[in-house]
Amino acid sequence: MTASAPVSVSASGLSLCYGGTRALDNVSLRLTRGVTGLLGPNGAGKTTLLRVLATAVPADRGAFTVLGHDPATARGRQEVRRQLGYLPQTPGLHLDFTPFEFVDYVAILKELTDRAARHQEVRRVLGEVDLADVRGKRIKKLSGGMRQRVALAAALVGDPGFLVLDEPTVGLDPEQRMRFRELIAAAGESRTVLLSTHQTEDVAMLCHRVLVMAGGRIRFDGTPAELSARAAGRVWSSSERDPGAKAGWRTGTGTFRNVGDPPEGADLLEPTLEDGYVLTLDGDRAEVTA
Amino acid sequence: MTRRVALVLAPAVWRTLPWRTLGATGTVGLLPAALCRLLGAEPGGSSAMGLLRFASLALTLGAAFLLDDTARHTTAPVPTGRAVRTVLRVVLVTPVAALWWTAVLLLVTGPAGPSAGDVTLEAAAASAVAVAAATLAVRHTDRTDPGRTVAVGLVSAAILVPVMQPSRWALFVWPADPRWAAAHERWGWVLAVAVVVWGLSLPEPRTRRSLRLAVTSPCGTSAPSGGR
Repeated sequence: MTASAPVSVSASGLSLCYGGTRALDNVSLRLTRGVTGLLGPNGAGKTTLLRVLATAVPADRGAFTVLGHDPATARGRQEVRRQLGYLPQTPGLHLDFTPFEFVDYVAILKELTDRAARHQEVRRVLGEVDLADVRGKRIKKLSGGMRQRVALAAALVGDPGFLVLDEPTVGLDPEQRMRFRELIAAAGESRTVLLSTHQTEDVAMLCHRVLVMAGGRIRFDGTPAELSARAAGRVWSSSERDPGAKAGWRTGTGTFRNVGDPPEGADLLEPTLEDGYVLTLDGDRAEVTA
Repeated sequence: MTRRVALVLAPAVWRTLPWRTLGATGTVGLLPAALCRLLGAEPGGSSAMGLLRFASLALTLGAAFLLDDTARHTTAPVPTGRAVRTVLRVVLVTPVAALWWTAVLLLVTGPAGPSAGDVTLEAAAASAVAVAAATLAVRHTDRTDPGRTVAVGLVSAAILVPVMQPSRWALFVWPADPRWAAAHERWGWVLAVAVVVWGLSLPEPRTRRSLRLAVTSPCGTSAPSGGR
């Protein structure tokens, strides 16, 4: 995936305030096919940006298009929604429904009115998220990971061209997270996926591109390798915690891994995406929680 | 397309209705009237009106919870607008509410009781206010359960309005009161206004300006960010 790939989602000057708080501040972006990661601390504006792009809430200012459709008009918004799959941060489900019934309900809302074709599509997405075996079980009897997959199936039903996923791996165990990565990677092969997450590993493993947000603004826009490279020469190992480091912790080998401005002659280490992310936020004096 | 979707959608929307809450408020509303009938008491005049107003309040509280939807955010950005689902909810629950209200009337009203038409107008207007308030709450907030807040507001109104209402604008009057006819003309207006507010609140806003209830503090923007 390159920057010259066809643009699926294009936004310019998106701004939104809640009361006096600027949740989005003049955000512009262009998304292409594949998985784009969205990183940022709590309160950075990630969820707000996702909700705006998913047409769940209108922006105060700015404009955007999804697959050529402008949601500023009623017709345009409907067209955008026909192309959209959305997994919110805390997906609510009707717990008395079975996964099949719930995804079927969402499929009807997505205008799949032909019963036979719709049921076939519901079975397809439930198979895709590995829930075919429990499709007749009440959602209230499913585990948290399975419920998350029901919500993902609801987002995937109707084969949307633009998938918006808000922290889909929160609360999942490592095995479930790995399963989710597989699903998201598969979804990104043919779609534009915007993935908001706190997990830098997810971004490193899944995304061809990463955006870093803080204070309602985009602070970084590039590849995961470029974000990691921001920390090149700024990660070092020492036997004691370096007081000059922005962050430092004892690793399993007993040495300290420090991030920041290294002293001369420091034993430099290979930076990770997380190092680049932390230093990007630090450079913008954004609040970072350890 | 919308009509076809609505037809296919109706059975699923029926299942998403908050039946437990509706059942609970329905039972509580019906209970005093049923007990009176079981005990052989024949309430007349003010007693009958008290029972009917209690049932009407229960109906109104049930209506306040009508738009509670745990899957609201999961199903927000779909081509079938929220208005379709809201109208479907109201359309589906109205016959059930009408049957329930008929049962209340059959249990309570007699030759000495208040006019069934007038008390039905009161109940319909109060329920319409509840649905309009819930629709407004859904439009202006992100809550999946606006019912509780709306219900608290309605109970407060049910307590405060009879106490604070100016005599010439009285809504809650008793059958023997000479203001009864005028009060029910006002109930008609309450119903009409509630229906209009409900209708205006149905469509999803396309701009934030139409979302704002009050003027918020100005919030400017900085230079563009992102946009590679």
